[in-house]
Amino acid sequence: MSFMEFVLAAIGIASALGVVGFRNPLSSAFSLIVHLLSIAGLYALLGAHFLAVSQVVVYAGAIMVLVLFVLMLLNLKSESGRRIGIVRSALTLGVGLVIFLAISGPMLAQFENIPQATLEHNVKASEGTVKAIGEVLYSEYMVQFELSSLVLLVGVVGAVMLAKRKNVQLAPREGGMRGGN
Amino acid sequence: MDPITSYLGIACLLFVIGGIGICLRRNAIVLFMCVEMMLNAVNLAFVAFSKIHGNLDGQIAVFFVMVIAAAESAIGLAIILSVFRSVASIETTDAAELKW
Repeated sequence: MSFMEFVLAAIGIASALGVVGFRNPLSSAFSLIVHLLSIAGLYALLGAHFLAVSQVVVYAGAIMVLVLFVLMLLNLKSESGRRIGIVRSALTLGVGLVIFLAISGPMLAQFENIPQATLEHNVKASEGTVKAIGEVLYSEYMVQFELSSLVLLVGVVGAVMLAKRKNVQLAPREGGMRGGN
Repeated sequence: MDPITSYLGIACLLFVIGGIGICLRRNAIVLFMCVEMMLNAVNLAFVAFSKIHGNLDGQIAVFFVMVIAAAESAIGLAIILSVFRSVASIETTDAAELKW
């Protein structure tokens, strides 16, 4: 594991713990931005250049701006004083540890002994440049790509419908032209 | 340990941290951010698998997960906003009733 990978992984794990640990939601949001950027760095090290850029633009840019907008709009205080019981936290951590061992054990054992030559051969084939991704996306995955535009359209319409105020008074009020609520 | 398998280990760890966050926190927006973190952990595993197998299918899968996550974040935040209008709080323990 190279030095760069180690640093990025350490930053990613630390900021992930920050997202869970900070009591102020705003600190969690900024911690998540750091997390997403470090994951983008790991993508770049894995050779997925297009995904690294779209991670920065879509996740760390667009989605996190949306989250921060909502956080600022709601003007929240820190999580209220009711602390989570020590028993419950310990239980959750224990279950999490068990799940971690249950997932990672078989997954790591699966890829224990890949020949190094195969890996080096595969590195070239899996380099995700914009050209390579585009070629696969617009030929093999054409239908799914078109369907994803439909998903985004439904998302936009659904978000507008859900966030719209339902109790807008359309009838004019008595005593003047000042409408609105 | 092989570099690729260490990426898989990191992905597992991030996934579990996100899951623990969902169990421990009550703020709906923080829960939402933990879900994003779990999605990212799976994406990292996808990219590592793509490198192991030497084709781009894993990276295409990550691309589609990003599309779904963008749509999901718009919908999810709209739901959080409308819940906030009803109960004036986004803590999940306050929104425990089925009907207002």
